[in-house]
Amino acid sequence: MGLLFCFLGALFFGLLGSTLKVAERRNANASGLVIAFYGWAALAMLAKTLLVKSSGHIPGKVFLIAVIFGTCAAIASWAFQVSIRIGKVTVGWLMMNLSAGIPVIVSIWMYHEHLTPLKVVAFVLALVSVLFLFWGQVIEKRVLRDSPAKGN
Amino acid sequence: MWFLLMLVILLTNGMSAFGLKMIAGWALPETVKYPYLTVWYAGGLAVIAIPLILKGLKLGKTEILWGGIGGALSIGGQVAMAVALSSGVPGHIVFPIAIGGSIFVVALAGRLVFGERMNQPTALGVALGFIAVILLGIS
Repeated sequence: MGLLFCFLGALFFGLLGSTLKVAERRNANASGLVIAFYGWAALAMLAKTLLVKSSGHIPGKVFLIAVIFGTCAAIASWAFQVSIRIGKVTVGWLMMNLSAGIPVIVSIWMYHEHLTPLKVVAFVLALVSVLFLFWGQVIEKRVLRDSPAKGN
Repeated sequence: MWFLLMLVILLTNGMSAFGLKMIAGWALPETVKYPYLTVWYAGGLAVIAIPLILKGLKLGKTEILWGGIGGALSIGGQVAMAVALSSGVPGHIVFPIAIGGSIFVVALAGRLVFGERMNQPTALGVALGFIAVILLGIS
Protein backbone atom coordinates (compact mmCIF):
# COMPACT_ATOMS: atom_id res chain seq x y z
CA MET A 1 0.00 0.00 0.00
CA GLY A 2 2.82 2.37 0.95
CA LEU A 3 4.62 1.66 -2.33
CA LEU A 4 1.48 2.62 -4.23
CA PHE A 5 1.64 6.06 -2.59
CA CYS A 6 5.32 6.37 -3.64
CA PHE A 7 4.26 5.94 -7.28
CA LEU A 8 1.29 8.26 -6.72
CA GLY A 9 3.75 10.88 -5.44
CA ALA A 10 5.85 10.40 -8.59
CA LEU A 11 2.75 10.85 -10.72
CA PHE A 12 1.63 14.01 -8.89
CA PHE A 13 5.07 15.63 -9.09
CA GLY A 14 5.52 14.56 -12.71
CA LEU A 15 2.13 16.03 -13.60
CA LEU A 16 3.12 19.21 -11.76
CA GLY A 17 6.16 19.66 -14.04
CA SER A 18 4.04 18.89 -17.11
CA THR A 19 1.25 21.26 -15.95
CA LEU A 20 3.72 24.12 -15.66
CA LYS A 21 4.81 23.42 -19.25
CA VAL A 22 1.17 23.43 -20.40
CA ALA A 23 0.73 26.80 -18.64
CA GLU A 24 3.80 28.09 -20.50
CA ARG A 25 2.35 26.88 -23.82
CA ARG A 26 -0.84 28.80 -22.96
CA ASN A 27 1.26 31.94 -22.54
CA ALA A 28 0.84 32.19 -18.78
CA ASN A 29 3.00 34.95 -17.33
CA ALA A 30 5.86 33.27 -15.38
CA SER A 31 5.72 35.65 -12.41
CA GLY A 32 1.91 35.59 -12.35
CA LEU A 33 1.92 31.80 -12.32
CA VAL A 34 4.39 31.68 -9.41
CA ILE A 35 2.24 34.21 -7.50
CA ALA A 36 -0.91 32.12 -8.06
CA PHE A 37 0.93 28.88 -7.19
CA TYR A 38 2.37 30.29 -3.95
CA GLY A 39 -0.88 32.09 -3.11
CA TRP A 40 -2.95 28.89 -3.27
CA ALA A 41 -0.28 26.90 -1.41
CA ALA A 42 0.01 29.58 1.33
CA LEU A 43 -3.77 29.52 1.81
CA ALA A 44 -3.78 25.70 2.04
CA MET A 45 -0.95 25.73 4.60
CA LEU A 46 -2.65 28.50 6.59
CA ALA A 47 -5.82 26.37 6.75
CA LYS A 48 -3.75 23.38 7.92
CA THR A 49 -1.99 25.57 10.55
CA LEU A 50 -5.30 26.79 11.92
CA LEU A 51 -6.73 23.25 12.00
CA VAL A 52 -3.79 21.73 13.90
CA LYS A 53 -3.92 22.56 17.61
CA SER A 54 -0.83 24.16 19.17
CA SER A 55 0.75 24.97 15.79
CA GLY A 56 -0.09 28.69 15.75
CA HIS A 57 3.05 30.05 17.46
CA ILE A 58 6.17 30.53 15.39
CA PRO A 59 9.51 31.48 17.02
CA GLY A 60 11.32 34.48 15.54
CA LYS A 61 14.27 32.49 14.17
CA VAL A 62 11.89 30.04 12.45
CA PHE A 63 9.99 32.97 10.91
CA LEU A 64 13.25 34.43 9.63
CA ILE A 65 14.49 31.23 7.94
CA ALA A 66 10.99 30.60 6.52
CA VAL A 67 11.12 33.98 4.75
CA ILE A 68 14.70 33.41 3.52
CA PHE A 69 14.15 29.87 2.19
CA GLY A 70 10.67 30.65 0.89
CA THR A 71 12.24 33.47 -1.11
CA CYS A 72 14.81 30.98 -2.48
CA ALA A 73 11.98 28.62 -3.50
CA ALA A 74 10.00 31.36 -5.24
CA ILE A 75 13.06 32.52 -7.17
CA ALA A 76 13.72 28.89 -8.21
CA SER A 77 10.12 28.44 -9.35
CA TRP A 78 10.26 31.66 -11.36
CA ALA A 79 13.61 30.66 -12.93
CA PHE A 80 12.18 27.22 -13.84
CA GLN A 81 9.10 28.78 -15.43
CA VAL A 82 11.22 31.20 -17.49
CA SER A 83 13.69 28.44 -18.44
CA ILE A 84 11.03 26.16 -19.97
CA ARG A 85 10.12 28.96 -22.38
CA ILE A 86 13.63 28.84 -23.86
CA GLY A 87 14.70 25.29 -22.99
CA LYS A 88 13.41 21.79 -22.38
CA VAL A 89 11.03 21.03 -19.52
CA THR A 90 12.83 17.71 -18.85
CA VAL A 91 16.16 19.47 -18.33
CA GLY A 92 14.63 22.19 -16.14
CA TRP A 93 12.81 19.59 -14.04
CA LEU A 94 15.93 17.47 -13.72
CA MET A 95 17.88 20.54 -12.56
CA MET A 96 15.18 21.24 -9.93
CA ASN A 97 15.68 17.70 -8.61
CA LEU A 98 19.47 17.66 -8.92
CA SER A 99 19.44 20.67 -6.62
CA ALA A 100 18.71 18.18 -3.81
CA GLY A 101 22.50 17.73 -3.73
CA ILE A 102 23.00 21.31 -2.47
CA PRO A 103 21.46 20.83 1.01
CA VAL A 104 23.41 17.54 1.29
CA ILE A 105 26.66 19.46 0.66
CA VAL A 106 25.65 22.19 3.14
CA SER A 107 24.75 19.52 5.72
CA ILE A 108 28.17 17.91 5.33
CA TRP A 109 29.77 21.34 5.84
CA MET A 110 27.48 22.65 8.63
CA TYR A 111 26.57 19.49 10.54
CA HIS A 112 29.71 17.48 9.67
CA GLU A 113 27.56 14.71 8.24
CA HIS A 114 29.43 11.68 6.94
CA LEU A 115 30.36 11.75 3.26
CA THR A 116 29.54 8.19 2.15
CA PRO A 117 30.94 6.62 -1.05
CA LEU A 118 27.37 6.58 -2.43
CA LYS A 119 27.10 10.36 -1.96
CA VAL A 120 30.47 10.86 -3.66
CA VAL A 121 29.30 8.81 -6.67
CA ALA A 122 26.02 10.77 -6.76
CA PHE A 123 27.85 14.13 -6.68
CA VAL A 124 30.28 13.08 -9.43
CA LEU A 125 27.40 11.83 -11.61
CA ALA A 126 25.43 15.04 -10.95
CA LEU A 127 28.42 17.17 -11.93
CA VAL A 128 29.04 15.18 -15.13
CA SER A 129 25.30 15.34 -15.89
CA VAL A 130 25.23 19.15 -15.56
CA LEU A 131 28.28 19.41 -17.85
CA PHE A 132 26.58 17.21 -20.50
CA LEU A 133 23.34 19.23 -20.20
CA PHE A 134 25.28 22.48 -20.71
CA TRP A 135 27.16 20.93 -23.66
CA GLY A 136 23.86 19.79 -25.17
CA GLN A 137 22.46 23.31 -24.84
CA VAL A 138 25.55 24.80 -26.54
CA ILE A 139 25.10 22.39 -29.48
CA GLU A 140 21.40 23.19 -29.69
CA LYS A 141 22.05 26.94 -29.75
CA ARG A 142 24.69 26.44 -32.47
CA VAL A 143 22.25 24.38 -34.58
CA LEU A 144 19.54 27.03 -34.15
CA ARG A 145 21.98 29.80 -35.08
CA ASP A 146 23.21 27.94 -38.16
CA SER A 147 19.85 26.67 -39.43
CA PRO A 148 18.66 29.95 -41.14
CA ALA A 149 21.99 30.12 -43.00
CA LYS A 150 21.49 26.57 -44.28
CA GLY A 151 18.03 27.49 -45.46
CA ASN A 152 19.36 30.33 -47.67
CA MET B 1 20.40 33.40 -20.12
CA TRP B 2 19.54 29.65 -20.01
CA PHE B 3 22.82 28.78 -18.25
CA LEU B 4 22.24 31.49 -15.65
CA LEU B 5 18.67 30.24 -15.04
CA MET B 6 19.95 26.67 -14.55
CA LEU B 7 22.51 27.86 -11.98
CA VAL B 8 19.85 29.92 -10.20
CA ILE B 9 17.54 26.85 -10.09
CA LEU B 10 20.35 24.62 -8.81
CA LEU B 11 21.33 26.96 -5.96
CA THR B 12 18.01 28.48 -4.88
CA ASN B 13 15.83 25.37 -5.16
CA GLY B 14 18.50 23.34 -3.39
CA MET B 15 18.67 25.78 -0.48
CA SER B 16 14.89 26.20 -0.26
CA ALA B 17 14.47 22.82 1.47
CA PHE B 18 17.27 23.41 3.97
CA GLY B 19 15.05 25.21 6.50
CA LEU B 20 13.26 22.01 7.52
CA LYS B 21 16.66 20.47 8.24
CA MET B 22 17.58 23.47 10.44
CA ILE B 23 14.27 23.22 12.31
CA ALA B 24 14.87 19.51 12.91
CA GLY B 25 18.26 20.45 14.39
CA TRP B 26 16.65 22.92 16.82
CA ALA B 27 14.44 20.15 18.26
CA LEU B 28 11.24 22.22 18.08
CA PRO B 29 7.76 20.61 18.25
CA GLU B 30 6.70 18.75 15.09
CA THR B 31 3.71 21.08 14.63
CA VAL B 32 5.96 24.13 14.02
CA LYS B 33 6.43 22.95 10.43
CA TYR B 34 2.89 24.10 9.51
CA PRO B 35 3.29 27.81 10.40
CA TYR B 36 6.83 27.52 9.00
CA LEU B 37 5.50 26.36 5.61
CA THR B 38 2.75 29.02 5.69
CA VAL B 39 5.38 31.77 6.12
CA TRP B 40 7.65 29.94 3.63
CA TYR B 41 4.99 30.17 0.87
CA ALA B 42 3.81 33.66 1.91
CA GLY B 43 7.39 34.98 1.99
CA GLY B 44 8.09 33.62 -1.49
CA LEU B 45 4.78 35.02 -2.71
CA ALA B 46 5.61 38.50 -1.34
CA VAL B 47 9.05 38.61 -2.95
CA ILE B 48 7.63 37.89 -6.41
CA ALA B 49 4.35 39.79 -5.99
CA ILE B 50 5.46 43.14 -4.49
CA PRO B 51 7.63 44.32 -7.44
CA LEU B 52 4.87 43.27 -9.86
CA ILE B 53 2.11 45.00 -7.91
CA LEU B 54 4.22 48.17 -7.88
CA LYS B 55 4.50 47.85 -11.66
CA GLY B 56 0.71 47.45 -11.88
CA LEU B 57 0.63 43.86 -13.17
CA LYS B 58 -2.64 41.98 -12.63
CA LEU B 59 -3.19 38.21 -12.53
CA GLY B 60 -5.15 36.67 -15.40
CA LYS B 61 -7.47 33.66 -15.37
CA THR B 62 -4.77 31.49 -16.98
CA GLU B 63 -2.29 32.13 -14.17
CA ILE B 64 -4.88 31.64 -11.39
CA LEU B 65 -6.21 28.41 -12.94
CA TRP B 66 -2.87 26.77 -13.78
CA GLY B 67 -1.27 28.06 -10.58
CA GLY B 68 -4.12 26.43 -8.63
CA ILE B 69 -3.72 23.12 -10.48
CA GLY B 70 0.04 23.27 -9.85
CA GLY B 71 -0.51 23.99 -6.15
CA ALA B 72 -2.98 21.09 -5.83
CA LEU B 73 -0.58 18.67 -7.56
CA SER B 74 2.30 19.83 -5.37
CA ILE B 75 0.29 19.29 -2.19
CA GLY B 76 -0.95 15.94 -3.59
CA GLY B 77 2.64 14.81 -4.13
CA GLN B 78 3.69 15.89 -0.63
CA VAL B 79 0.70 14.11 0.96
CA ALA B 80 1.34 10.92 -1.04
CA MET B 81 4.99 10.88 0.10
CA ALA B 82 3.97 11.57 3.71
CA VAL B 83 1.41 8.70 3.61
CA ALA B 84 4.03 6.35 2.11
CA LEU B 85 6.53 7.28 4.85
CA SER B 86 3.97 6.96 7.66
CA SER B 87 2.88 3.55 6.37
CA GLY B 88 6.37 2.24 7.02
CA VAL B 89 8.12 2.53 3.65
CA PRO B 90 11.69 3.72 4.37
CA GLY B 91 12.82 7.13 3.07
CA HIS B 92 15.54 5.58 0.91
CA ILE B 93 12.76 3.89 -1.09
CA VAL B 94 10.14 6.68 -1.01
CA PHE B 95 12.37 9.54 -2.24
CA PRO B 96 14.06 7.79 -5.20
CA ILE B 97 10.70 6.44 -6.47
CA ALA B 98 8.79 9.72 -6.03
CA ILE B 99 11.51 12.04 -7.36
CA GLY B 100 13.01 9.70 -9.97
CA GLY B 101 9.52 8.75 -11.10
CA SER B 102 8.53 12.40 -11.52
CA ILE B 103 11.54 13.00 -13.81
CA PHE B 104 10.47 9.97 -15.85
CA VAL B 105 6.89 11.31 -16.14
CA VAL B 106 8.12 14.77 -17.19
CA ALA B 107 10.58 13.28 -19.72
CA LEU B 108 7.78 11.15 -21.16
CA ALA B 109 5.43 14.16 -21.39
CA GLY B 110 8.25 16.26 -22.85
CA ARG B 111 8.71 13.75 -25.67
CA LEU B 112 5.13 12.60 -26.30
CA VAL B 113 3.05 15.67 -25.42
CA PHE B 114 5.37 18.62 -26.06
CA GLY B 115 7.44 17.04 -28.87
CA GLU B 116 10.82 17.81 -27.28
CA ARG B 117 13.79 16.13 -28.96
CA MET B 118 17.13 15.77 -27.23
CA ASN B 119 20.58 15.70 -28.79
CA GLN B 120 23.04 13.05 -27.57
CA PRO B 121 24.83 15.08 -24.86
CA THR B 122 21.49 16.26 -23.43
CA ALA B 123 20.07 12.70 -23.43
CA LEU B 124 23.24 11.42 -21.71
CA GLY B 125 23.07 14.31 -19.21
CA VAL B 126 19.44 13.48 -18.40
CA ALA B 127 20.27 9.76 -17.97
CA LEU B 128 23.24 10.47 -15.66
CA GLY B 129 21.25 13.10 -13.76
CA PHE B 130 18.41 10.62 -13.31
CA ILE B 131 20.82 8.10 -11.73
CA ALA B 132 22.41 10.85 -9.58
CA VAL B 133 19.00 11.95 -8.24
CA ILE B 134 18.12 8.33 -7.36
CA LEU B 135 21.48 7.83 -5.61
CA LEU B 136 20.99 11.09 -3.68
CA GLY B 137 17.55 9.83 -2.61
CA ILE B 138 18.96 6.48 -1.48
CA SER B 139 21.89 8.05 0.40
